[in-house]
Amino acid sequence: MSDHPILSANHLVKHFPTKAGVVRAVDDISFDIATGETLGLVGESGSGKTTTAQCVLGIYPPTAGEISFDGAPIGVVFSRRNKELKRRIRIVFQDPGSSLNPKRTIKQILSVPLKVHGMGSARERLSMMSELLQLVELPPTEYLYKHPQAIGGGEKQMVAIARALATNPRFVVLDEPTSALDVSVQGKIINLLMRLADELDLTYLFITHDLSLMRNVATRVAIMYLGKLCEIAPTPEFFRAPQHPYTKMLLSSIPVVTSEEEALKPEKIVSQGEIPSPVNIPTGCSFHLRCPVKMPICSKVDPEMQVLSDGHVVRCHLYGNDSSANVLS
Amino acid sequence: MDGLLAIRDLHVGFRIFEGKLRVLNGVQLDVREGERVGLIGETGCGKTTTVKSILRVLPMPPARVSGGEILYRGEDILKASRRRMQELRRHELTAIFQDPLQSLNPVFTIGTQLRDIVKDSAIGRGKRLSRRDVEAQCIQALQETGMPDPGRIMTNYPAQLSGGMRQRICIAEALSTNARLLLADEPTTNLDVTIQDQILRKLDELVEEKGASVVMITHSMGVVRDLTQRANIMYAGSIVETGMTHSLLEAPKHPYTQGLMASVPKLTGEGISDGIPGRIPNYLDPPPGCRFHPRCEHRMEICESEAPPLFSVGDAQHVACYLYREAA
Repeated sequence: MSDHPILSANHLVKHFPTKAGVVRAVDDISFDIATGETLGLVGESGSGKTTTAQCVLGIYPPTAGEISFDGAPIGVVFSRRNKELKRRIRIVFQDPGSSLNPKRTIKQILSVPLKVHGMGSARERLSMMSELLQLVELPPTEYLYKHPQAIGGGEKQMVAIARALATNPRFVVLDEPTSALDVSVQGKIINLLMRLADELDLTYLFITHDLSLMRNVATRVAIMYLGKLCEIAPTPEFFRAPQHPYTKMLLSSIPVVTSEEEALKPEKIVSQGEIPSPVNIPTGCSFHLRCPVKMPICSKVDPEMQVLSDGHVVRCHLYGNDSSANVLS
Repeated sequence: MDGLLAIRDLHVGFRIFEGKLRVLNGVQLDVREGERVGLIGETGCGKTTTVKSILRVLPMPPARVSGGEILYRGEDILKASRRRMQELRRHELTAIFQDPLQSLNPVFTIGTQLRDIVKDSAIGRGKRLSRRDVEAQCIQALQETGMPDPGRIMTNYPAQLSGGMRQRICIAEALSTNARLLLADEPTTNLDVTIQDQILRKLDELVEEKGASVVMITHSMGVVRDLTQRANIMYAGSIVETGMTHSLLEAPKHPYTQGLMASVPKLTGEGISDGIPGRIPNYLDPPPGCRFHPRCEHRMEICESEAPPLFSVGDAQHVACYLYREAA
């Protein structure tokens, strides 16, 4: 990993008090994202992926812990962040159908971030918008004056990407950018995102529930379960030697399309149970109710993050013997 | 041929303000007794319209069947009386839909809904069950789907259950009628992979046990590969390729299927292709000839004027593409 993380979260916690009890959406997670890498954050619904992203963006202030961007702490809510920071961190949402205003033309949609950040005069903005559309491979003359409903789902997502890139960000959060799209369209969006990351030197936090997709885009993969990270590893190692039982369960549950892929899946772990409610998290390791290899200790003590090898971190009692390795970046 | 269900050249359209949406354009589908068939297609290609035509639950109007026939054990469903149709739905055909929240009634408990189904399908078989028998069968149906504590679940409302549990209830309901043909319309699309795995495994076991036939409708090729023997690929209202699931997915022939297979992200991590340019046609004014031709890189002159029939390419595989005209 690079010595210089662009974003780092340190013991980040986000709790939501509700009538039913405290929802522990994000519960003490720590990770670093190096400049230029793509961190894939994978988890089932309700595991806290989106809340993590929203803390990064400042939609919620963290309950405890720190997030820093470029070395400076950013753990405050959106309205109290300075504009420069908002310009640097942007987001692409899951469903372009609901994240683009249907009453506005694409030109109006793209001009908002430019105006807010006071970039260029009206004329310069028009040429900037054309450039942005060219960047996402949409011919500007054809698309600038269209409304979102007049274009397809994939094209809408490209407009959403163009909007995110309008302010020359360095860090983009991609919150399931392709899960609302068909596979034949997904490929185009993903390849576009990867090309843009290279050309514009972007760093991504890529949130998804699709592990096969992660295999093809992420440099590192982090698995989240009930508000906690289970395992973080560089992508090739992650898929070659997954360690956490939950990771193995996830990987062996993916339906694959070829027999070469079948051979790459870990030994079948029969999945059982469902993700418990985040209001009522089990004691000890939150995964122990579904774990095929649980030990007596698992229901009592919450495991610590263990460093297995360079960049491969896992949080499980199976790997807890070496207490000297009991550190986390 | 001991066909259970045969769809022949089915055309279904919808009359709307702007004109006529020609959605299904000559669908051909065969399901044999005890067979599991996959129907793969992207959003808006007519998968659900096909299912609803089989069950005759399409709202008419706006929908209109403009040609073709659906033969269930040799009997044309499209010509069946309402009474006969109800009989068929009661103990021959059954369906699981994508969104269990929409197929379960939110104001009745699971028990009320399940009891109705069990009672009704028994009456359909000419039997009147005692209250205790109904109760026992309901509990058994829930237990079969791996539901913990079925007694309590019966008193719950759909909103009190998680997505995976709701889908299990839909499966329990669908299978408690002892139907011969199960139409599963994207039963796991809204669920997480680990839950999807559980649900599909359960569905697989139960179908095996009861010896029912299944039409599995989905956009996920992986699901079809795991669960079915034969697969059909659908594009813009017609079947473009059909064959044994494994050989079809190993060696797709139709340009659309090939494009689709290349765009699926794989665990081998070799990257993904750019997908298929363009998008599904507008059904108000679909392209003439092969509906895929505007997006096809191999298009020939004939593709623009004439729709290709299914050509045989060996090993029970058929492709609707003029590239394989000589092979036939």
